[in-house]
Amino acid sequence: MRRTALTLLNLIGAIGLISVMAGAPAMAQPYEPVKVVHSEQVQAGPYRLTAGFSTWPLKAMQSLDFTFAPDGGIGGKSGTLTLIAPDGGVQQNNLVRHPRNRKVWGLDIHALPQQGRWTMRFALNGPSGSGTGDVAITVLEQPGPPLGISWAISSLPLLGLVTLIVTGWRRTWPPSAQPQEERP
Amino acid sequence: MDITAPSARTDGTARTTSKGLPSAGALLSGTLLSLTGLVWDIQWHYDVGPDTFFTLPHLLLYAGSAVAGVTSLVVVLAATAAERGGHPVDPVIGGHAVGVFGRTFTAPVGYLVSGVGAALFLIYGLWDQWWHGLYGFDAVLESPPHMGFLLSITLTMAGAVMVSSAARDQRWGAVTAVVGLAVLLGFSTATTSGLSALGGGVVDLPTIGLTFMSVLTVVMGARLFDRRGGAFSVAGVLAALQAFYWWFSPWATRVYADSIDLPMRDYVTGVPVMMPMCLLLAAGVVELLLARARRQDRSAVRYGLIAGGIGGFIVTATAPLQAALFLGAPPGTDSTAVDMTAGAILGLVVTVVGALAAGVAAGFLGVRFGDMLRRLAPAREGR
Repeated sequence: MRRTALTLLNLIGAIGLISVMAGAPAMAQPYEPVKVVHSEQVQAGPYRLTAGFSTWPLKAMQSLDFTFAPDGGIGGKSGTLTLIAPDGGVQQNNLVRHPRNRKVWGLDIHALPQQGRWTMRFALNGPSGSGTGDVAITVLEQPGPPLGISWAISSLPLLGLVTLIVTGWRRTWPPSAQPQEERP
Repeated sequence: MDITAPSARTDGTARTTSKGLPSAGALLSGTLLSLTGLVWDIQWHYDVGPDTFFTLPHLLLYAGSAVAGVTSLVVVLAATAAERGGHPVDPVIGGHAVGVFGRTFTAPVGYLVSGVGAALFLIYGLWDQWWHGLYGFDAVLESPPHMGFLLSITLTMAGAVMVSSAARDQRWGAVTAVVGLAVLLGFSTATTSGLSALGGGVVDLPTIGLTFMSVLTVVMGARLFDRRGGAFSVAGVLAALQAFYWWFSPWATRVYADSIDLPMRDYVTGVPVMMPMCLLLAAGVVELLLARARRQDRSAVRYGLIAGGIGGFIVTATAPLQAALFLGAPPGTDSTAVDMTAGAILGLVVTVVGALAAGVAAGFLGVRFGDMLRRLAPAREGR
């Protein structure tokens, strides 16, 4: 038994080592800098802000980096970003620095889930007071297979689990047929 | 690896006592690695953000399924060799053996389930790689490939519970079964979040799903051992896991971010994945009612239904309180006040009613699943 345990432990160690070695080159790669391939101008009261996009045009569910750079920098300024979806759904967040470009606000690797016309509403506060401004962006149809097919494929393990339960259920039914066991 | 049944001529008790432990322990370790990787990964996305296919939390997640898969494969091959050598496989090792691909392989049923889960994880992992190539690395937990591999890991965890249940008469079997059930429940905090993809309007489907899983696992724990302490043990281990992750998850995230020169976000929660903290209370109700059923020799199913309903109500009704106490407003948002609009109150009421029904169903199924797990253990002589 001890030999078996040692063999298994060695196996586990080897798998861990292989996993880390396989991942090491990828982990050593620096995270990509934020690229801006398209930008839109927004006037939010006294503030002029540039909204940058790392891919263009936008497609539903396809993630990208968003950057929001007010003229004069983000120092001394704060605000919120409200994303209004084509179906009217609203999500409001504070404007926070982009993790890979700390000089501007942004959303890192973020996807807009719906196709259609989105509105980005900026509400800014700063030394010149407060102001609100909107920019509308069009999001195209999602790439790849229809979502229904993807969800059907992803549900296969659940189907397997249900099959397992049904099989076990039928084999142990009726419960009264079970042998009575001693209670400790 | 000796996995054969003890000979009728020799006293096999001592050998049987622990010979399934190394493989069951390795399988359980794999599931613990998966849970830890998942909790860490979610914390990473909350507190830091940038993602690749090979982050350390991801590697932990992959290693968990690799360990579980290789362990299952080794046991199945050993069982096949033993069966071909004319030695029957001991059912303490993963439950009764079944034929796979005709009689090509002989697999203890618990290891068959865990191995299939691990193999599916590999397939869904590859699909996830393709998915991220097409859609990018947005950290959306409830994407189809993510749900596919989370469900695959759930299958592996169900197999681990079956393996331990087959040895529940051994001390190590009882301990690993309790830990396995707690790990399964802890992991389902993420899996049930996928229910949000179904919409549900004002109804909080993930909370109802988590309530169902919470009640199901504690009732299974109670019924599996059919004695006092089963439900409490599962809830207690879950509380211990939550306490560990409360320390580990934010710490590991910060250390890893520092090591690769990534800054923390402007808004950091510092709180890991939240598991239902009032589960100990719900487990107490389950313990009381199932003990009453045993004392009065009444139907465990009837008491399971009642315990499930009450347990479901406790878990769901306390969920908003838990979220408000520990999470406050979602990171980066301004809404600090509790939402008391008519729509929010209606949503809460409908969610609690839905969870009550889910709890009743989970109470019933928990008793039946506990019975099914009991049947995996070989019958003792003289019984």
